[in-house]
Amino acid sequence: MKSSRWVAGMALALLVLSAKGQAPMSDSPGRSITGGAAVVYQYPEQVTVSAGKPSPVALHFRIGQGLHINSHTPRQEELIPTTFSIPEGSGVRLVKADYPTGNDFTLPLDPNTKLSVYTGEFTILTRIVAESGNHLVEAKLRYQACDRNVCMPPKTITVPIDVIGK
Amino acid sequence: MKRNTLVLGVVLLILATFAWAGWANWEYRKQAAEKLLASAAKGELVSTAAGDVPQYISPLKGKPAPNFALEDLSGHKVSLSSYKGKAVLLNFWATWCGPCKIETPWLVELRNQYAAQGFEILGISTEGDDLAKDDKAGREKQKADVAKFAQQEHMPYPVLIDGDSISQTYGGLDAMPTSFFVDRNGTVVAAQMGISSKDDIEANIRKALGAGK
Repeated sequence: MKSSRWVAGMALALLVLSAKGQAPMSDSPGRSITGGAAVVYQYPEQVTVSAGKPSPVALHFRIGQGLHINSHTPRQEELIPTTFSIPEGSGVRLVKADYPTGNDFTLPLDPNTKLSVYTGEFTILTRIVAESGNHLVEAKLRYQACDRNVCMPPKTITVPIDVIGK
Repeated sequence: MKRNTLVLGVVLLILATFAWAGWANWEYRKQAAEKLLASAAKGELVSTAAGDVPQYISPLKGKPAPNFALEDLSGHKVSLSSYKGKAVLLNFWATWCGPCKIETPWLVELRNQYAAQGFEILGISTEGDDLAKDDKAGREKQKADVAKFAQQEHMPYPVLIDGDSISQTYGGLDAMPTSFFVDRNGTVVAAQMGISSKDDIEANIRKALGAGK
């Protein structure tokens, strides 16, 4: 009786496992590598600052797994730096942007060339001046991403922030 | 006896479940691959079962390479059709692409090695940049950067600019480097996105030359 229960339990477990195997997984074969966004803006979605005064705002970004982007100060002049900007006429002015220091990185096939990159999560510390009122700012982040084998073209993403100047 | 029969039945059920799961999984992957190919007016770089060497699925493989005419660094138009009868490697690259820089010396060596057999490379700069169309200064700088790169790397083959204009006809070119190996009849016999090894490139060149798989 005991062994029958054991066999039945095993069968159930195998059924569950095999059913799980049918579901597409994020890292399953066939997943497009270049299709998704390399960098995603995380937060804040909304900030309240004193109108007319420079105010610090920390912007948080996340880079896709296995990817890296050039830091703001890449070591090679032909590489495209990561840059943040706020379009003119949006009611908010970018006074200053402090970028994190890049991490050293080398490609396996070229161990002698050191790159300065961001991976994982990174934060840009900005100082902005907002006019009085509510401003739906579409700031921009320009970057160029690679993994160990390929590089994606430079891209500019929108960084949407609701800035309230009081 | 009755219990043994029951256990045997359960074991058979488990084996049948395994067989079904394997078949269903194979079917699912086959359908996914077919769907991808069917919708592939666009090339896709996809992860493989092993998870380490991504595979480039190009809609152009086995088809005639789309003709084009692009300017070289001296401003002369160069068309693919003028290379008919030769095996050609179309190497799409960009100045901001580290892996492109790594593979360029391999390409130079291979070009020199196989040129006598009727092989040529067309290096097509595809900056993919989001420069405005009227940004003349930006485009001039880009052209100067491409020329500088070509000079630094001693590229002995034609370097063409504005690969972005033919990107769609070549499957989208979402990443660099991307190479298409075209045989003497103008058919794409292999395509590769991303850097792998000099040996892989050489094997595809030989395939394009009809000198072995």
